[in-house]
Amino acid sequence: MVKRYLPIVAFGCAAALLPLVCKDPYYLGILVFIGIYSIATMGLNLLMGYAGQISLGHAAFYALGAYTTGLLTAKYRVPFLPALVAAVIITAAIAYLIGMACLRLRGHYLAVATLAVGEIIFICLNAAVGFTGGPSGLAGIPSIEVGGFSFDSDFKMYYLVWSLFILLFLMTGNIINSRSGRALRSLHSSQTAAAAMGVNVISLKVQVFVLSAVYAALAGVLYGHSVTFISPQVSDLMFSVRLLTMIVVGGMGHLWGGVIGAALLTLLPEALSAFQDYEMVIYGSILLAMVMFLPDGLMGAFENLYKKMVKVVRARGNG
Amino acid sequence: MAETILQARGIRKEFGGIVALNNVDFEVRRGSITAIIGPNGAGKSTLINVMTGVTTPTAGSISLSGTTISGLQSHEIAHLGIARTFQTAQIFGNMTVLENVMLGRHTKTGCGMLASALLLGRMRREEKAIRETSLLYLDMVGLSDMAQQSAASIPIGRQRLLEIGRAIAAEPTVLLLDEPAAGLNTQETRALGELIRKIRDTGITVIIVEHDMELVMDIADEILVLNFGLRLAWGTPEEIQANPEVIEVYLGKED
Repeated sequence: MVKRYLPIVAFGCAAALLPLVCKDPYYLGILVFIGIYSIATMGLNLLMGYAGQISLGHAAFYALGAYTTGLLTAKYRVPFLPALVAAVIITAAIAYLIGMACLRLRGHYLAVATLAVGEIIFICLNAAVGFTGGPSGLAGIPSIEVGGFSFDSDFKMYYLVWSLFILLFLMTGNIINSRSGRALRSLHSSQTAAAAMGVNVISLKVQVFVLSAVYAALAGVLYGHSVTFISPQVSDLMFSVRLLTMIVVGGMGHLWGGVIGAALLTLLPEALSAFQDYEMVIYGSILLAMVMFLPDGLMGAFENLYKKMVKVVRARGNG
Repeated sequence: MAETILQARGIRKEFGGIVALNNVDFEVRRGSITAIIGPNGAGKSTLINVMTGVTTPTAGSISLSGTTISGLQSHEIAHLGIARTFQTAQIFGNMTVLENVMLGRHTKTGCGMLASALLLGRMRREEKAIRETSLLYLDMVGLSDMAQQSAASIPIGRQRLLEIGRAIAAEPTVLLLDEPAAGLNTQETRALGELIRKIRDTGITVIIVEHDMELVMDIADEILVLNFGLRLAWGTPEEIQANPEVIEVYLGKED
């Protein structure tokens, strides 16, 4: 039990100290984004990596979160916390309706259905010009303010984002290692066998879909208030695919996979910007190579390596 | 004669134009081992699937201790006390051996995601009880030493035992075994027979679909013989072995 919490405690300590060393606002900004993407990918990983259900529409929930609190605070002067509650409820309700309709489908059908839902929300955000600002976006989103304290700098946002990440990480880990966590992992292997053991497959799929949508919405909320401007681009299919790529590269079905993928896919373009015109070619090649040679993602590769090392050490100990 | 626990009346199942089960009647006594045998394509697995809600019968009804279960969904039937294994072992390969058996406790426990996320005391107590009970059932099927291994990594024979362990962890009133001896060697099959008897002795009624006649004749109290979706015979192993129609189906007609 204690052993399970060791890595996240160590990670939390390191994350708490990092801004004291790295003071450059540019890098701090990047770290905020990595934290936001990590929250979104954690939810997507719960749905895809653990429960084995594909979603190509998660950017839509991210956008719903961002637009709900963005509109409420910027346009209607609603305080942040009630706006946040509204964002969570609205996203959960929409995800529930979509889930009830789509999650009876399996495999490719589910992927296509979620893709369509993402597109519908993208189109709605573009078309409702009077309400959302349409293609020109929504500007002037205020900083997050809770009880008189304003998270008005990257430094403050950094601590907010990563605290929320650690909290969600602990809660998600608890779910995975519980009765409902085992039930949702069982869906990945055999839905027929899961049902035979008494798991209400449809209801559980809807539950995990709603939960993962709420994670995406929370990430979207943080994004909107940290950049102060959002456009329908946040609900774009490409962003859904990007979130998906993060967990595939980082490791599906590993809680750390989402963070590692988010960090890699955010830092890699920065590191490669020196190559200028060749940036995208190198970036693409690296991703392709990773998917080809590390099909279980970076976390999967680490795990295999660790297991092999344990075996070698044991073999030496015996011999 | 013990009371009837499971009763099937006029079960019919059609797939398109094909009649897989045709007006099948049978009863299972509480605490017995009932075997369902028959040539390939006789409708044995379809009958198991109908009993567990994987498919719904075209006509007819099945009741468990007086409650109608035909037409219910798989998970609802599981909650009423029927557990099963599959013809090709359907273990959860992305989980450990122990976690597979722990999932078997699903119908007997109730904590949801919120209680788990917040690690409520109720959830921690339940989790501890699930683990302890599961270890007992894991021991019963003889897989204690593999508890922490990935379920996908253990040999197929062990996966079959794991599936049985997972099913009995649900403490069902009726356990359905779909060809549990397929792919097992003679020694493993004998051990399986012992295990099935042991399970019956804990009070679980066992229904087994099996091709291994030696095993069937050894453990079954009653046998249902299906042929082309029809009930060909029903009786004790001695009666079935002496039944000319059954002999004809299995060995061919003597001219």
